[in-house]
Amino acid sequence: MGAHDVTPNRSVLLQLKSRIKLTQGGHKVLKMKRDGLIIEFFDILEKARQMRAGVSSDYEYAMRTITIARAVEGEVAVKSAAYALKADPQVNVTSKSIMGMVVPKVEADHIHVLMTEKGYGVISTSAYIEAASIAFEKLLETIVRAAEVETTMKKLLDEIEKTKRRVNALEFKIIPELQESERFIKFSLEEMERENTTRLKHLKKA
Amino acid sequence: MFGRSKAKGNYAYTATKAKAMKSQLIKEDDYNKMLQLNVTELVHFVSEAGYSKEISEIGERVRGIDLVERATYANMASTFKKLLDGSQGELHTVLAAYLQKWDNWNIKVILRGKSYGLPAEQIKDDLVPAGSMGAEALDKLIALESTDEIIAAFEKTESLTIPPEVLHEYHENGNLGKIEDFIDKYHYERLLKVIPTTSIPTRMFSDYIRETVDIKNVETIMKLKSEGINGDAVMEYIIPGGKQVDMKLAKQLADAENVTDTFADLAQLDFYEDVKEDVESEDMDICKIFQNTKKHELHVAKKFSSQYPLSVLPVVDYMINMENEARNIRTIARGIESGIDRETIKELLVI
Repeated sequence: MGAHDVTPNRSVLLQLKSRIKLTQGGHKVLKMKRDGLIIEFFDILEKARQMRAGVSSDYEYAMRTITIARAVEGEVAVKSAAYALKADPQVNVTSKSIMGMVVPKVEADHIHVLMTEKGYGVISTSAYIEAASIAFEKLLETIVRAAEVETTMKKLLDEIEKTKRRVNALEFKIIPELQESERFIKFSLEEMERENTTRLKHLKKA
Repeated sequence: MFGRSKAKGNYAYTATKAKAMKSQLIKEDDYNKMLQLNVTELVHFVSEAGYSKEISEIGERVRGIDLVERATYANMASTFKKLLDGSQGELHTVLAAYLQKWDNWNIKVILRGKSYGLPAEQIKDDLVPAGSMGAEALDKLIALESTDEIIAAFEKTESLTIPPEVLHEYHENGNLGKIEDFIDKYHYERLLKVIPTTSIPTRMFSDYIRETVDIKNVETIMKLKSEGINGDAVMEYIIPGGKQVDMKLAKQLADAENVTDTFADLAQLDFYEDVKEDVESEDMDICKIFQNTKKHELHVAKKFSSQYPLSVLPVVDYMINMENEARNIRTIARGIESGIDRETIKELLVI
């Protein structure tokens, strides 16, 4: 709707004034939300950086332990131990709210299982295979935690982008247009006022 | 011959054969040469080191490092089988009991594979028929439908009875761990019963096995302790019959506050000198400690092998060295393939 496509009367002017006030209030709140989200994003970004480094180092360690286990105990022994595993890790995804934005909360259960409950014998399973198994459990735990942080970070980025677009739309389009309409109505009303005064003067002369 | 009856066994024949076979094993210096090779050169080297038959047989189906691993297992299985089949009387009984560990290995591979749902051919590829159960007997086990049938058939073949409570636990949660541990404990208990203690060499062999039991027990205690499992829960896994780690000391170790406290009690054990450095190091690594206990076992075998040349000792010494050769070749091959640095591979070798 163009700024001049309004009916210039007092009632519309009052409505417009109230809309401008509301929109400016909304703009202020959205700007605060955007700033808050950005602060939250930088916190999460730092966490994500640490998580990525953690995943990377845990992955390297896990691969090293399994490589050594494969070298020392043989592929067959490592594979066979893996087939015996009875552990069934569970990943639970719930949600939490950050400044009104819903982000996932990822939790994992039964990742670390005691050696006695893994499914293979304690006596004959070598310390190398057990070390590899523990290293991979730790890697899985780190990956699950990283998944939560990464998803939160992506959601935050989307939300910041969305909020930024809304703030910009309000700041550079909606509020200026409303103000322009307000100016137009005010000008039209003044013009009508002046016309009325002139008309009354003419009537008085006649 | 040599004053031994047939019931006692053909010690002279088997020991001489074992010594001849040992002379063909890869020498310590060769491992250094192997460390400088790439995968293709390594396959060629292993082929020329006495594994050519297995390399060409298995090479039709498998390539690369898997070929090396399977060929070493196959070669080891066939040489052990030759020695076992050629032995008689008491010697045969002792060797069969010693090699039962490979039957245990195979039954574990079969049960794990079956419970995971692997096809029979894939399970068969992972077997090492180095024990008294030959390839045919193992094929029959694989052909059975359920794990219960396999367990029952294994019990019959090995004349053992798995306690009902162990089987019940398996049926309840599908965890094969307790069955595997029972089989392992049974192996050592039976082996110690089978080895006669009437002669010095068999007593030395018995001592060697008892020391192996000590090492196994300490390894078990440390593995469980590092997971926070202490006391009676650990004692369940202790194999009776150790040389120095009796049930009292095992309980003492199992009750110790943490892994480090365990080491204080280990100082009195024969193998402590070999692991001392790792135990006292700041970044203590359980794997490294047990790497060195393997070296200790090898050195003990080396010591006793030449003392009684016409006894069970040279045969067992050959078997220990053969197993170790297979392990070292595999370590070098997998290490080179995975890009582990040469120094680390060298540390992993048991020489």
